[in-house]
Amino acid sequence: MNALLTSAVAGLTAGGTYALLGVCAVFTYRLVAVVNFTGAAIGTAGTFVLIALYEAGFPIWPSVVAGIAAGTMVGVAIGTIMTRWFGEASASTKAAVTVALLVGIIAIGLRLTGGQHPHNMPELFPGSAFRMAGVEVTIASVLTIGLAALFTVLADLFLNTTKVGLNLRALADRPMAAELLGIRVQLLSLLVWGMTGAFTTFALMIIAPQRSPNFMTLSLLVVPALAAALVGLFRSFWRTLAGGIVLGLVEGMASSVDSISQYRSAIPFLVVLAVLLWSQREARWDEAR
Amino acid sequence: MSKLVVSNLSINRAELPVVSSLDISVESGAISVVLGANGAGKTTLLEGLSGIIPVAGGSIAIDGRDIHKARPGVRSREGLAHVEQGRTVFRQLTTEENLKVSLHSGADLAEAYALFPELVQRRTVRASLLSGGEQQMLVIARALLTRPKVLLIDEMSAGLAPVIVTRLMSAVRKLADNGLAVLLVEQFAALALSIGNRAYVMRRGRVVHDGDCMKLLKSPDELHRLYLGG
Ligand SMILES: Nc1ncnc2c1ncn2[C@@H]1O[C@H](COP(=O)(O)OP(=O)(O)OP(=O)(O)O)[C@@H](O)[C@H]1O
Ligand SMILES: [Mg+2]
Repeated sequence: MNALLTSAVAGLTAGGTYALLGVCAVFTYRLVAVVNFTGAAIGTAGTFVLIALYEAGFPIWPSVVAGIAAGTMVGVAIGTIMTRWFGEASASTKAAVTVALLVGIIAIGLRLTGGQHPHNMPELFPGSAFRMAGVEVTIASVLTIGLAALFTVLADLFLNTTKVGLNLRALADRPMAAELLGIRVQLLSLLVWGMTGAFTTFALMIIAPQRSPNFMTLSLLVVPALAAALVGLFRSFWRTLAGGIVLGLVEGMASSVDSISQYRSAIPFLVVLAVLLWSQREARWDEAR
Repeated sequence: MSKLVVSNLSINRAELPVVSSLDISVESGAISVVLGANGAGKTTLLEGLSGIIPVAGGSIAIDGRDIHKARPGVRSREGLAHVEQGRTVFRQLTTEENLKVSLHSGADLAEAYALFPELVQRRTVRASLLSGGEQQMLVIARALLTRPKVLLIDEMSAGLAPVIVTRLMSAVRKLADNGLAVLLVEQFAALALSIGNRAYVMRRGRVVHDGDCMKLLKSPDELHRLYLGG
């Protein structure tokens, strides 16, 4: 029993990361109408800038700042591609474009970072925060979950109390009507891409030491993140947050049960399937009424 | 002091010409009415003017500055406002939030409420829940808060009760009297002609009549002929 709890808690850091990446995905979808498959890859690019600087002997915190700046820039670059050339495209076309971009970024990233070559990723926040039922809860896990909650609260506040947030909501509602009123649509969209890029990068820096820090594995964290976003039906920030955490916990528990641990990575897929079936059922029910 | 001057304008849709070598102008303080049957190209014309769709040729000038290549946001900042067909309120935002979105450069919400006092008590209601007439008032008021020189309005009377339409028409007349140049696209000719100054009739993307609103209003036979293309 205690072993199960220990491994569940070990899944918390991953859960917090899925939650944060998921919340960023919902933010992007709600404001610029893109299901973004490059979310984690953007953060991965920033994380590898940190790794490169660190390995080259630069001090850690300035490297972190440089990495976050790089992640923000990659986010803005992807956003520029999406708003300039695919602004009017359908939701499915835009999603497909981000998949293509993901493949491209991974290819370039693997090339630049030497493929499977092991890297020395510093732990930014080593140690445990507190003990719960005799199990160590790491600072990293508290931090990722806290960051996800913070992003959720800030996003809410930002959208509902500021003029820029109001403009963003208008833009999400009717992009053309917003543009006709002189709202700087492209600039606002890039702001969304930049903000999510920065937060994603920081989240990935925290989780990277626990995964094999390889460009592809980190970039593919977008899969559980989108699964979490789906739990929130790409609308609710809080349900996405909860979805991400639960996903991490379940994954952690599964890793301690030998017979199923090798299927662990299929868990996001099962969650996606369950949510889709469940939401379909609800839609059918609505129809039948 | 001509405000909006459109000359030799052509616009294509799906590669086919929908507006061809069209000349139209609106002065400050006046309403130019654009009439025409379904599919004549009225909406296409307005969308080309505001930059929603690209134009194939010709020029669009506000106070002598050509804007036909600019993005919609730039045209807005140059003084053009477009009230689109179909009452494009921001559905998820309240009435007041809708107005605040277009509030820049020293305009005041009070101006919007002064024009349409009906909106005051609907301030905190989500725009998707407003009546059709209220939504139409909202989009007109919202456009005004950008402080335009030229206002384009597409079929504001569609689907509304006659009393509301009369109300909207007199509000638009008032705006023109205060110095705005208005280009008013309408299907329902009589009311529009009764508040307008200059009348254009479009058929298959061309202007087939350019004259005085009162004159056209007094000769319904002529108008009928223009619509049907006799
Ligand atoms: N998105 C589009 N793609 C291709 N053709 C279009 C498109 N929209 C309109 N058209 C064509 O352009 C022509 C003019 O349409 P438009 O909507 O400008 O007419 P309208 O005068 O506004 O008509 P209505 O009075 O019905 O609003 C029509 O023949 C229409 O079929
Ligand atoms: Mg039309």
